[in-house]
Amino acid sequence: MRRIYLITYDVCDAKRLRKIFKCLRGWGDHLQYSVFECQLTDADLLRCKAEMADILHHGEDQVLVIDLGPAASRSATLVQAIGKPYSAMAAPCFVV
Amino acid sequence: MIQPIEGAHSTTFSSDRDPEDLLPARMINELVYCPRLFYLMHVEGQFAESIDTIDGGIVHRRVDNGTGGLAPAEPCATQSFIPSADEDPAVIVPEATKPKKRRKSKHVQAATLFGDDDDDGSEAGEQEACEQQSDQDSDASEEAEDLPKTIHARSVTLSSESLGVIAKLDLAEATGSVVTPVDYKRGRPKRMADGTLAAWDPERVQIALQVLVLRDNGYQSDEGVLYFNETRQRVRVGVDEELLDLTRSAIAAARQHRESGQIPPPLVSSPKCPRCSLVGICLPEETRRLANIQQPPAAVRPLITARDERRPVYFNTQGMWIGKKDDLLQAKVEGKVVQEIRFNDINQINLFGNIQLSTQAIQTALGRDVPIGYFTQKGYYYGVSGGLGVKNILVRRQQFRLADDSEFCLDIARALVHGKIRNQRTLLMRNHREPDATSLRDLKRYAARALTADSLASLLGIEGIAARIYFGDFAGMLKVDCGVSTGGEGYVTAEKRPAFHFRSRNRRPPRDPVNAMLSLAYSLLTKDCLVAATIVGLDPHLGFYHQVKPGKPALALDLMEPFRPLIADSVVLSAINTKMVTADHFICAGKSVVMSDAGRKHFLLAYEKRMDSLVTHPLFDYRVSYRRLLEIQTRLLARRLSGEIEEYPVFQTR
Ligand code: SF4
Repeated sequence: MRRIYLITYDVCDAKRLRKIFKCLRGWGDHLQYSVFECQLTDADLLRCKAEMADILHHGEDQVLVIDLGPAASRSATLVQAIGKPYSAMAAPCFVV
Repeated sequence: MIQPIEGAHSTTFSSDRDPEDLLPARMINELVYCPRLFYLMHVEGQFAESIDTIDGGIVHRRVDNGTGGLAPAEPCATQSFIPSADEDPAVIVPEATKPKKRRKSKHVQAATLFGDDDDDGSEAGEQEACEQQSDQDSDASEEAEDLPKTIHARSVTLSSESLGVIAKLDLAEATGSVVTPVDYKRGRPKRMADGTLAAWDPERVQIALQVLVLRDNGYQSDEGVLYFNETRQRVRVGVDEELLDLTRSAIAAARQHRESGQIPPPLVSSPKCPRCSLVGICLPEETRRLANIQQPPAAVRPLITARDERRPVYFNTQGMWIGKKDDLLQAKVEGKVVQEIRFNDINQINLFGNIQLSTQAIQTALGRDVPIGYFTQKGYYYGVSGGLGVKNILVRRQQFRLADDSEFCLDIARALVHGKIRNQRTLLMRNHREPDATSLRDLKRYAARALTADSLASLLGIEGIAARIYFGDFAGMLKVDCGVSTGGEGYVTAEKRPAFHFRSRNRRPPRDPVNAMLSLAYSLLTKDCLVAATIVGLDPHLGFYHQVKPGKPALALDLMEPFRPLIADSVVLSAINTKMVTADHFICAGKSVVMSDAGRKHFLLAYEKRMDSLVTHPLFDYRVSYRRLLEIQTRLLARRLSGEIEEYPVFQTR
């Protein structure tokens, strides 16, 4: 079962910042500056955290992983936007 | 005199014995957990990831960076150890983890003494904590110069000829001539009722193997340590005769299972199964339910996840170019990125027509076991590229043997055709405006007749008659007045806009929208059955009902028979009846019709929605998605081939 996580980061060094950004692009949608929304299985979360742990400086940087609950029972008002619209895609497949 | 050991690899391969023949200690550990797990993994070669295996991998990653050097054994150490009989190995004394303290110099020292030249000055925190205990010990010993120092070697591989076992030690701690293996574990240790910490048998056996291998290589060793990453606790495992007996019999059992070619039965309602990474491959409860064994389970526990968490991708825009950037698939049209899709989110890539996929993207997909399906622009399936490999060669051998057995083939074919006709009937009953009693009765009759057909030829006949009855009533399941029909036979077709009428099944090329959609749906389903067959390890091209013909995925076609009405036909009906696909999505081209890109997009979404929807398995009473169901049914066929179950339970909805 996937859960929704809001992942935010505060990274002090430009090189590590780029790396964290790149890493998280592989796991979720870039919502805002330093904020990603990721829908992850337990296994994904484990891998994602391990990848980030390898990049971060544990004394200077910080990543917060905020659990927003199961993706399947996501409420329509879980994330509300003021200003530019926000949309959560939920299709059974990707068609491009 | 014992030969000095220069490093893991020289030790491993210096012998006459075929290194392939040495059993890794890890395998024995798995055998002690469950003999069936051992068989699935190490005889059939099947593997699946779970939280535990991934976490285990992360825990071991740093440990495995070691070079595997271990100083030569002192001659005096040989066999001098006598285990103390009164020591209870299952009761282990926890040792508190002391506060972290970085002591780089210790490792430099260790490197010179112990051949551990891997010290790059960036120690993992966990490792620090693990070694801390001993570092503290050696701090003490530094004051008393005469006490031996504890030194460390990481990732040491040693083998034992006499046992026929090879073991990799995460960490070896040597104090004088005594070497203690340390094994890194994820999670937390087992806690006994009285609060003491203990180890499970598989882990105890693994430590025992490491101790035995160390002794065989001339070191003195009488206990090992399990280090739990999560809680940072060290748990000591003493090695006594009882544990050694258990270990030796496990080695013997491993060899015997390897040679027998017989899969051990599933554990009985074991608490181990829900945690087992192979539960979806093993199907313990399902197998026990269907196999002819004593005490079948009263209820099948739903141990498999209901859905695949990843989704398929379909590339459908002509002239599109797809490359890879970091962990993303990047789709470009005329040099502009139109969409990015994470590799982590997908389980298939499908290409319709003129689409370019870069080599890097292909390599990444295949490396991640993501198959790539190829279709023409019109949606004819023409191939899948692998990355799925041959998972289970034993079942494939059995498939080839049984495909030559005409009785066996007929048996499977009867069940498939029976199931297909029953499912066609169910679809009519559920969706037809006024189900025709005669048709339903006839379908029932032909379904029953399929079970007693005396040849494949007569089965084909029965299947054909049933199809005619079914498709004869198919139009009655369409509930859309497409707006251009004036009713009766006098429908009007706008010049380029065909109507949704359906008279009979036609193909190559399909002459009306409904047939075009049916053809596309069968193409997609063929692809998914082929992928399921390959995942399970079967050859998709050798069938039991469908005959061998070059390029024809006969087994995939076999597997899909009962699902044609339930998945493909049902998708066509819902795409039309919910107006996801309308007459506007088709263009007449001579006698045939062509679906527009937008129409195909909507149809693909409808198809995947069906694949993702949950259905109750009539035998096991749990709900799974149709995609998962295809895999389960294919695994059950494999069980039938291996002889573990006696009948192939063709899927029928209730
Ligand atoms: S699911 Fe259960 S029976 Fe099957 S391999 Fe795993 S532990 Fe053994």
